Amino acid sequence: MTSLTPGEGGSSGRPRRVRVGVGDLAVVADDATLTTSGLGSCVAVAMADQRAGVRGLLHAMLPSAARSRPAAPRPGKYVDSGIDALCTALVDAGAASTRLDAQLVGGAELLDLTAAVGPQNVERARERLTAASIPIVASDVGADVGRTVRFGADGDVVVRAADGFERVIG
Amino acid sequence: MRVDVRALGACNRLAERGAERAAAALTDLTGTALAVEVTGVSVAAADGSPAAAAADGEWVGVRVGLSGGLSGAAVLAFDADRVDGLIELLPGDASLQHSAVTEVGNIALGGFLDGFANHLGRAIELTPPQYVSGDDPAAEASERSTDDPVFRFESRLEAATDLDFSIALLPAATPFRDLARGRPRSGEADVAEGAFSAVLGGNAESATEHAEAATTGVTYDALLRFASLAAEGSETAAANIEAMTGLETTVDVSRLRFVPLTDVPAAVGTAPHAGTVFELHGEPSGYLAILFAEPSAARVADAMLPMEPEEPLGEMAEHALCELGNVMTSGLIDGWANVLETSISHSPPEFVHDIGAATVSPLVAALSRRQDYGFVVDATIRTRGVEARCDVYVLPDERELVAVLRRLADP
Repeated sequence: MTSLTPGEGGSSGRPRRVRVGVGDLAVVADDATLTTSGLGSCVAVAMADQRAGVRGLLHAMLPSAARSRPAAPRPGKYVDSGIDALCTALVDAGAASTRLDAQLVGGAELLDLTAAVGPQNVERARERLTAASIPIVASDVGADVGRTVRFGADGDVVVRAADGFERVIG
Repeated sequence: MRVDVRALGACNRLAERGAERAAAALTDLTGTALAVEVTGVSVAAADGSPAAAAADGEWVGVRVGLSGGLSGAAVLAFDADRVDGLIELLPGDASLQHSAVTEVGNIALGGFLDGFANHLGRAIELTPPQYVSGDDPAAEASERSTDDPVFRFESRLEAATDLDFSIALLPAATPFRDLARGRPRSGEADVAEGAFSAVLGGNAESATEHAEAATTGVTYDALLRFASLAAEGSETAAANIEAMTGLETTVDVSRLRFVPLTDVPAAVGTAPHAGTVFELHGEPSGYLAILFAEPSAARVADAMLPMEPEEPLGEMAEHALCELGNVMTSGLIDGWANVLETSISHSPPEFVHDIGAATVSPLVAALSRRQDYGFVVDATIRTRGVEARCDVYVLPDERELVAVLRRLADP
C-alpha cells in the first residue's frame, strides 16, 4: 500500500507516524515519521528528495520478483519491484528522480537455517539503486542483529536494536 | 464440505478490508487514528457457544444476528483488560461502559460486515446489537449445530495502546461456508457462487487461483482435524518436558490461526524474544519457532536450571531453552506425524534472542517464495508453578500440507 493518508499522532504536536509493514511501502510529503520494525533478513530502503520534502520507506522480504511464486501482487514484497514502486510513488508525490538518495538498513543473517536471504537482499538493493543512479548515502546492513527503523523529516534514519540502543546511521 | 486453503486466504483479505473499515469507523468516532496491525483467521468446530468462539479469556462485546448476504450471527469481542483504554478515547461519560462498548462494538462490527457485504454484492441485515460478555448466559444461547464451523477473525488495532478485538462469524447456513470452498458445485446456492466469485473477482489472478483450487481444496473435516493436531502433539510435548526436567508440566494449545505470512512478524511483535527455531523435514516440511517474551524465557530457563544462572539469558539459559525447544518440538511433530500418518523430523535447535519480529523474518522470507499464508499455534506452557507463555509458529509448506490433508480425507 502506498500511504499518503494520515497515520498516528498529529493532534499531539508530534509528527504523525506512518508504519510500514512487511512487504509494504509508504510515501509522505509532510513531516511524518516513517517507521518499520522487526527487520531481520528483510531490508529497508529509505529514499528522499529532501528539497521537495518527499520521503518514502520500503520493507522488502525477498531479493527479486522474477521467478517468484505466487506472482507478486505486492511489489513491496521484493527488493527490486519494491524499489521501482517506491521511486514511482515518490515521483508521483512530487520528488525529482534525479534528486533522490537512499539509505539501506537490515539484511541480517539471524539464522543458519535459512539460506543467506539477508545478504542477497542487500546485494539486490545495491544493484537496483545503482542501476537507477540513486546514490546510497548511508547504510547499516548485515551482521546478526534485528533492527527497527525510524525515518524522520530531517532525513535521518534512526536504527534501534533489540536492547533499545539507538543510533543515526550515516 | 470442502475448504480451499487459498480461498481461506481470500477470506482473510476480506477480513483485512473489514478490519480496516472497522478501524476507520473507530477513528472517526474517537478522533484518534487507529491502524490495523494484524488480522488472522482461524477455523474451529462450534461447540454451541458463540461466546466461547469469539475470544479466549475475559472479554466484552456485542452480538448481532445476520440475514441477507450472510445469515447467522456475529460476535465482536474486545479484550476486557484493554477495553478501558478504548472507552477513555470516547467523548462523554466513561462510566457508561455497557453503552459505550455496545456503541463502539456495533460501529466496528458494522464496518467489518460492510466490507463483506461490498464484496458479496449483497446487503447484510443486522439485528440491533446486544451487549455480551464472556460470562453472560445470553451469549451462550445458540440454536446452532455443533457441527457448524466458526470462522474467527482477529485483528489488532494500534493506537496509543494496542487494542485487540476478534470477530466470530457463526454462519447458520451454507452461504458463508461456501465462501471458503474452492468452487461451488453446480446447482448449489447462487449466493455462494456469487460470494466466491466476488471474493476472487477483479483479481487478475483469479483464473489461476480457480484452477489451483482444484489442487488446494481439502475437506473441512480434514482442516478441523489439522486444527486439532496441535493439541495432540502438545500432550506428548508436555510429557517430554516432564521426563526431561522432572517438573510437572502442561502445554495448553488454544487454537490454530491462519495468517498472511507478512503478518507473522507483526504478530510476534517488537518486544525482545528468546527461543528456538527448527527446520522441519518430511511431509510437510517447513519451519517451527518457539518464542518466549524475554521475561518468560528467563523464568522458564531459571525453573529448569539447578542453580540461578549468572545472567538471565546467558549460555546456561540458552542450553536450557534449546533442550526445552528440542523436546517440545519432538513431542509436537511426533503427535502430528501420527495423526497425519506421515513422517516428520526436525533439525537441531537454533537459539534466537532478538527483536521478536526479526527472529521470524528469515523463516517468513524463505517460505514467501512459494506461498502467502502460514499457520500459528498458540501455546502456553506451565512448569512447577512457573507460567511461561510461548507462541509456537508452525510454518509448513502449503502444498505439502494440503497434499497430506487431502490424503487423510481420501485415503
